[in-house]
Amino acid sequence: MEISHRADDSCQNRFALPVDSEHKSTEFRLFSVAAPHMRAFHLSWISFFACFVSTFAAPPLLPIIRDDLNLTSTDIGNAGIAAVAGAVFARVAMGSACDLFGPRLASALLTLITAPAVYCSSVASSPMSFLLVRFFTGFSLATFVSTQFWMSSLFSSRVVGTANGLAGGWGNLGGGATQLIMPIVFSLIQHMGATSFTAWRIAFFIPALFQTLSAYAIFFLGQDLPDGNYSQLHKSGDKHKDKFLKVFYHAFTNYRGWILALTYGYCFGVELTVDNIIAQYFYDRFNVDLHTAGMIAASFGLANLFSRPGGGILSDFVSKKFGMRGRLWTLWIVQTLGGVFCILLGQVGSLGVSVAVMLIFSVFVQAACGLTFGVVPFVSRRSLGFVSGMTGGGGNVGAVLTQVIFFRGSRYSTEDGITLMGVMIICCTSAIALIYFPQWGGMFCGPSSKGTTEQDYYLSEWTSAEKEQDFHSSSLKFSENSLNERGKRVRSAPTPAEGTPTTNA
Amino acid sequence: MTPASIFFNTLIVIASPQPGQAGIDLAYKTIKVKLCYAPISQKDREWRKTEDDLAKDKTCQHEIVARPCRPSNNTFTWTIKKDIPTATYFIRAYAYNSADEDVAFGQTTDYHKTTSLLEVHAVSGCTVPLDIASICLSVFAIASLFGFYLLVKKRARASLNRVT
Repeated sequence: MEISHRADDSCQNRFALPVDSEHKSTEFRLFSVAAPHMRAFHLSWISFFACFVSTFAAPPLLPIIRDDLNLTSTDIGNAGIAAVAGAVFARVAMGSACDLFGPRLASALLTLITAPAVYCSSVASSPMSFLLVRFFTGFSLATFVSTQFWMSSLFSSRVVGTANGLAGGWGNLGGGATQLIMPIVFSLIQHMGATSFTAWRIAFFIPALFQTLSAYAIFFLGQDLPDGNYSQLHKSGDKHKDKFLKVFYHAFTNYRGWILALTYGYCFGVELTVDNIIAQYFYDRFNVDLHTAGMIAASFGLANLFSRPGGGILSDFVSKKFGMRGRLWTLWIVQTLGGVFCILLGQVGSLGVSVAVMLIFSVFVQAACGLTFGVVPFVSRRSLGFVSGMTGGGGNVGAVLTQVIFFRGSRYSTEDGITLMGVMIICCTSAIALIYFPQWGGMFCGPSSKGTTEQDYYLSEWTSAEKEQDFHSSSLKFSENSLNERGKRVRSAPTPAEGTPTTNA
Repeated sequence: MTPASIFFNTLIVIASPQPGQAGIDLAYKTIKVKLCYAPISQKDREWRKTEDDLAKDKTCQHEIVARPCRPSNNTFTWTIKKDIPTATYFIRAYAYNSADEDVAFGQTTDYHKTTSLLEVHAVSGCTVPLDIASICLSVFAIASLFGFYLLVKKRARASLNRVT
């Protein structure tokens, strides 16, 4: 026992932040860049921010681009759908890439491989080429999965909601920032003498270069896990290299992942849809000019600065008292309220009230995104990446669906589309009531009377043959560390120690 | 108004009352000549939609000239700017009175906007330096990926040698 204590102390000294048995940080210090935990946080949110800037760089410049490329409303709608459709499968693929190669390589690879699509946006010359560059650029939104996976690997359950919320929220900020950045960059280039049809093309080099540089930063400065990178840990035998089919099977057969994928489509998916349509909505309905429409559109995305992280922090906060049940209830309440404000947004006819309702709507819908990823890390330990990818992909499916049903062609006016989208949010969010964890309970039921523990739940993903070879060690540690999700019941419920055979040093 | 012609990249519009038409009304103080989108270029493009309320109308988005109304010498030569998009157009002149209210208009096409339309082909914003820069930077990004792959293999081998 003495030996293992000394080993733990030396491990603790290695890290700048306090860590648990998995060497995950138990604290979140925003203004630190200490390796590996906080440095990974800053690298992941910055690169995700860059990808969001690139993906939504076109919408604020559409009034110029649509004239240069002779686009119709249908062309613009299709390109907007393409921009979010690509990431549906890319996010799922990213999930398995993270499980197999680690988030550092997965995100650096994706960020770099989509940079050419952003460079080539400058040479788009027809509706089809415009659609294609938006489609391939949109793949970069899959870096969302690697940020969530990376945060879930480096931060303990006490702060994982906060870490996920901040990384995701500050990345999403890119969708708002780009509505300000691109028009400013465009004006600057125009002032330097370029015609408008050349200036927008040059402007696209800014997000492209930003994306390229962030990929380099991740590769050279990042680290997958507190103890090292996947490739090193696989070779030294410290980390078991899991099989794709096993990871896929355990994610695919976990119904909770599917429900979260659906509900995420109606918070994050809605957010993506609004990023695509809101500038034109204010420009056309309220007759504001391009700059004003851009600023209003930007404020929707910029609310992510505090609203999504707020959702994550709220998730961790309610979990202290009410555990997982608290996380689920809060998610349902906040997302349903988001739907209510969406219905209102489509109904109001005056500019000032419309902007105010839009801001309130943005806070609720983005907080719901943060709350969702307070639940996702607990759905599966073995297939964490795949479940994150499925949920993330579900977000994009929601964006595709809402744009196809409500914002393409002229079946509904934009304001009617927004109202109907709000109704759909409320209906789909009710699925959260179906999520049930036997060890913690669900919205309407308490934990299982059979006394299922965290260990039973997480170790059920491994066969006894795999357990004999000790492949399940990280799941074992995770189940111990997730006892917090019982809320205030921690002492009264059965604990893993009662059933686990003790190993002697 | 007589129909307009296009000479290279300049546009010459000649406006003069025909016999039988009303002469220039004394109430007309200012004439604004605008380049307007023909129906074919408005199709599926809500941002160019025609509305009866002139304040909301988006048919005529490009102003050619605005000047005081004169009984004669009304020729104006206009060079088509580089930000005029590829589309089919007609030309319309609005007459304003001293209170700046629109009181009359004339156009180069018929009521249904189907005759004497002008097609403008815009100068593309693509330039050769842009093409070259895009391609070079894209190739560099892909080449970096291979560089990363080689580095990862090298480091993994190095850590294996350290362990064994």
